[in-house]
Amino acid sequence: MRRPPPLGRAVAVALVTAGALVVFFPLFWMAVTSLKTPPELQRVPLRIEPDRWTNLDNYREVFARQPFGRFLLNSALVASVSAVSSALVSSLAGYGFAKFQFPGRQLFFFSIVGILMVPFQSVVVPLYLWVSRFGLLDTYLGILAPDLVSVFGVFLMRQAIEVVPSDYIHAARIDGAGELAIFWRVILPTVRPAVATLVIIKFMWTWNELFWPLVVVNSPSMKLVTLGLVSLTNMYFIEYNLVTAAAVLSILPILAIFLLGQKWIVRAVVMSGLKG
Amino acid sequence: MRRRTHLDRQRRAGLLFVLPALAYFGFVFLVPLVESVIASFYRTVPGGASRFVGLRLYEKVLTDSTFWQSVRNTLTLLAWSAPATIVLALIVALGLHRLTSVRWRSVWGAMYFLPFSVSLVAAALIWQWIYDPVYGLLNYLLGFAGIPPQKWLQSLDQVLPALAVTNIWVRLGFDTMVFLAGLQSIPAEYYEAAEIDGASRWQCLRRLTLPLLNPQILMLSILELIFNFKIFDQVYATTQGGPAGASQTVIMLLYDTAFKYFRLGDASVMAVFVFATLLAVTLVQWRVLRRPVEY
Repeated sequence: MRRPPPLGRAVAVALVTAGALVVFFPLFWMAVTSLKTPPELQRVPLRIEPDRWTNLDNYREVFARQPFGRFLLNSALVASVSAVSSALVSSLAGYGFAKFQFPGRQLFFFSIVGILMVPFQSVVVPLYLWVSRFGLLDTYLGILAPDLVSVFGVFLMRQAIEVVPSDYIHAARIDGAGELAIFWRVILPTVRPAVATLVIIKFMWTWNELFWPLVVVNSPSMKLVTLGLVSLTNMYFIEYNLVTAAAVLSILPILAIFLLGQKWIVRAVVMSGLKG
Repeated sequence: MRRRTHLDRQRRAGLLFVLPALAYFGFVFLVPLVESVIASFYRTVPGGASRFVGLRLYEKVLTDSTFWQSVRNTLTLLAWSAPATIVLALIVALGLHRLTSVRWRSVWGAMYFLPFSVSLVAAALIWQWIYDPVYGLLNYLLGFAGIPPQKWLQSLDQVLPALAVTNIWVRLGFDTMVFLAGLQSIPAEYYEAAEIDGASRWQCLRRLTLPLLNPQILMLSILELIFNFKIFDQVYATTQGGPAGASQTVIMLLYDTAFKYFRLGDASVMAVFVFATLLAVTLVQWRVLRRPVEY
């Protein structure tokens, strides 16, 4: 076993630590700014810590200015539906691609993966026209339209289901289970970690999205968190104490999910990375 | 006879399983993509009627200096952020890989990875506050070094590098994780053999680690290219393309053209341009950088 000299390792540790602190600092800075009053923001010389760590006035103000609670709920609803629907449809497709032989299987799979190459912005105008034709502008369904299934999900689930032993499926078939029942009772429970990964990642992606919501949402009551955040900056003078408070509110739920599911997210990153 | 019906049933079942996804992607991606291409040949006149104009819109958009300015801006931003992100991520991953304690490795790894979970809007706004010319932290810190306050996002020259820093901050953790996983999959015997042969640390890195990380480097450069080429959220939330168009990116221009000025034909030309460019560059990158790697 190779042992690097202790000095070299100490330097590496110091650099990695310093880098981690630099990367973390902007988040910390956002959090402390959200606890400061406007005069504190303009104080010279600048002080890192807020005068009062329990000053939540900015948060109150964010909720008073805009229906920010509603935005959070909207985002939670849209992101949840998108995550669950993606997981379900992607698992079905992943199972079909992994364990069945049918004409066009390869072609279909590669056309789906090929969609990864299509930037969403290249289809946004026609998609917008379709959504508007169906009268779905400014509705939850309209916001969800492009986010109900994810290409990445199909890819991920196929990879996960491929390694499930086919004997399980044959055994269930011999027992007389229907195809859907096999999917539901045999496949899904076996690939639970992959499903969890997909749910977490898709939730995160939809929660953080800006472009499409910007296009389809008009009324304040349908806004998502990202839109609420942007609208705090649509003025000549930006109140950063409020912007950072709103940013904290928008990040906290996702951060909690992220930290809880970090293991799975890293797994997905690794998977997409190695198979890329 | 029984065997055949069994196979038929299997085929049908397989098709039925993939059908929802296929139908969905067809409607949401393929049909609109084709429509985008078709729309790029039509000019929509106010009132709703559209007229076939051949390549006229291509001629118009592709000779428009505003458009090429936005392409230049996008490429400049890409050049500032993508290589820096990948190199920094490689350095961080090599550093993390040397931490022997698995727990510390995952704690520090998580710190680098945190910004990945933050929305691009929030990330851009946090940095805009740090960049604030009057009360921002960055100018305050530079003041200690005797550097006069800079205008950062409000400066013609600094806006793209400043936005690039935000991109790097967001993407660093993701790239690091990919590299770290790559490093962990390289068998330790390789390094032992190299050591026996008397290879220096630098030689190990150049002749062993980097070539073996080729798949990761390839994938990350493609992903970074796509990510940076499609940059929109950060610009929309902060500069809106300003000052004086200095941070106007292709997607920003596409958005304005379609949803602010409602010139859908022009926007479709840009959509086709973005699609074709990304496809071409990805294919080229794939061919040039792809080398088989054997562990």
